[in-house]
Amino acid sequence: MATLSVNNITKYFYEPVEFQVLKNISFEVEKGEFVAIIGKSGSGKSTLLYLLSTLDTDYEGSISINGIQVTGLKQNKLASFRNEHIGFVFQFHFLLPDFTVLDNVMLPALKLNRKSKDEIEHKAIELLTLLDIKGQEHKKASKISGGQQQRVAIARALINSPAIIMGDEPTGNLDSKNTKIVFDIFRQLAREQGQTIIAVTHDDEFAANCDRIIELSDGMLVDTI
Amino acid sequence: MNTNQKIAHTFLTSRLRQLLVAVLSVTFGISMYVFMNSFMAGVNDQQSEITFTSMPHIKIYNELPAEVKPILPQPKDDNTALIVNSARNIRYTEGIKNADAIKDKISKFDQITGVTTQLNQNIFIRNGVSKANATLSGINTVSENLMFKTSEYLVEGDLFDLDKRSDGIIMGTLLAQNIGVGMDDNVVVTTSDGISKSFKVIGLIETGAISADKSRALVSIQTARQLFSKNKSYATEVMVNIKDYNTAVTMANEIAKLTDFKVEPWQQGNSQLDSANVLRDILAIAVSLTILIVAGFGIYNIMNMTVNEKIKEISILKAMGFNGKDVIEIFLTQSVVIGLIGGFTGLILGRIIVRIVDNIPFKIATLSTLPVAYNPTDYILAFFFGILITFLAGYLPARKASKVDPVEIIRG
Ligand SMILES: Nc1ncnc2c1ncn2[C@@H]1O[C@H](COP(=O)(O)OP(=O)(O)OP(=O)(O)O)[C@@H](O)[C@H]1O
Ligand SMILES: [Mg+2]
Repeated sequence: MATLSVNNITKYFYEPVEFQVLKNISFEVEKGEFVAIIGKSGSGKSTLLYLLSTLDTDYEGSISINGIQVTGLKQNKLASFRNEHIGFVFQFHFLLPDFTVLDNVMLPALKLNRKSKDEIEHKAIELLTLLDIKGQEHKKASKISGGQQQRVAIARALINSPAIIMGDEPTGNLDSKNTKIVFDIFRQLAREQGQTIIAVTHDDEFAANCDRIIELSDGMLVDTI
Repeated sequence: MNTNQKIAHTFLTSRLRQLLVAVLSVTFGISMYVFMNSFMAGVNDQQSEITFTSMPHIKIYNELPAEVKPILPQPKDDNTALIVNSARNIRYTEGIKNADAIKDKISKFDQITGVTTQLNQNIFIRNGVSKANATLSGINTVSENLMFKTSEYLVEGDLFDLDKRSDGIIMGTLLAQNIGVGMDDNVVVTTSDGISKSFKVIGLIETGAISADKSRALVSIQTARQLFSKNKSYATEVMVNIKDYNTAVTMANEIAKLTDFKVEPWQQGNSQLDSANVLRDILAIAVSLTILIVAGFGIYNIMNMTVNEKIKEISILKAMGFNGKDVIEIFLTQSVVIGLIGGFTGLILGRIIVRIVDNIPFKIATLSTLPVAYNPTDYILAFFFGILITFLAGYLPARKASKVDPVEIIRG
């Protein structure tokens, strides 16, 4: 059974003019697969990722994650589904600026409420150490650099060990050393934990090292290698 | 602290100035509520205290039936004419023959704080050639004093001497002046039936109510019964005081079930006092609620601004898996915290204001400072309304926050 299966997805924007961003997109991603989505700017990569992450529900076609059809689920259901199964790194790494780095990472796990606070904190520190931002965890999220923020966002996406991790240019702001760290983490999670990774990227080298590349062009799948 | 409360806490403390403004608006609203109501209650209590120096909360007496019962039944058919000339409403009994029985009956109500009987009749009072109309009140000195603190108004003599001397009379100061008598002088009382008896003035009373001081004379109720040749338990009025004079109407209705006599709460026949009290209460509540509502708008405004400012954060929270209910909880918690802090400081500030007002000199009539009351219910209601209004004012922005569509914001 595929971890992610996308069936004939079509999406329109109606403002400012009617415009079809995604055209009949279908594909599947297996458990533990590390997939890159590439394509020109404006080809619809972010839009597709918002659909896959269940944030955007305004589309035709259907999406199933972990065998559960998420298309048509109620907002509150989707929220807890995201919380448990999906980790998301946004193109513009959104953190909660008033919270500390550590709180930002811990919040999704506190919301899930499956582990004790100590366990969660332990895991968060572990992730922050892995991503080389140890020592910053008690600073406010607004008081660290852009690249650090992006890595905090990645740590936050990983905290609940979600089945799928989605990243919209998760390494967009990172130098080559940190890009490599993040890539290796993803690689390892996919291989050892069987977590599925879907990352939009403009980085050819990053894409080339993934298991598979999905290319979008003008809202259509170019080909699946 | 659960996760939502932790988030609410962080949001609140990250904007301390806004928090302060919001809290102050609640503080102000609640303290004004406390002040207005305490002040108005103080004025009302003051008024009532004056009123009830001579008037009971409830009066029981024998009244002419209001409706004259038809002497003959109305004829059924149209061909018969019925004419009754000079129908008269005759009072078959006067006063209350067995006042003790009524006292016994009503003693079962534990709201009653005092009962006394009076025998009141109009008389002539004479000193040589000068004479005046007056009301003679036969009173039960002990219970009368308990209810009306009569002895405090005596400028000369001792109220309880009435029990010792069956020829003793206590006169209103103005009445005594009118007919030119002083302490230990003799006066002659003549009843409407033409019976005369001589009394000795053993006290002078001044209540401050001119009409009473000009016309009232007190004797013991036994003396009055003898004078009017009435039986032992006879009285014209049974006077009742209760714990809360505002409940007089309900109590009067309860008592009325037990007796055929007229049971009259003080509000009847004193509607000007009653309406003044009620109007002051309405005014106090209207003004204080208005202030609270204005404070509510303040909170609404601030919370709305907060929601707009935090729209990005709300979107992130929702993207991470917080649902609409969580978001409502997060923002409502903030309002409630504002309400609670503002509520407590408001109660304290209100209490301080009331204290200050209590000490402002105001030397008119019997007052020396502005009158205020210290009613716990005012404080409880102020707090309750304060929380209610912050809750309502916080709910709308919170609901708006819960409706935020995260993609719209995250897409940028
Ligand atoms: N909210 C919106 N309303 C209308 N059109 C939109 C909206 N968001 C995106 N679009 C359009 O949809 C198309 C796809 O946008 P999208 O953000 O998915 O591109 P992308 O592939 O992620 O590009 P990039 O690599 O620059 O991030 C673009 O042509 C864009 O102009
Ligand atoms: Mg994009």
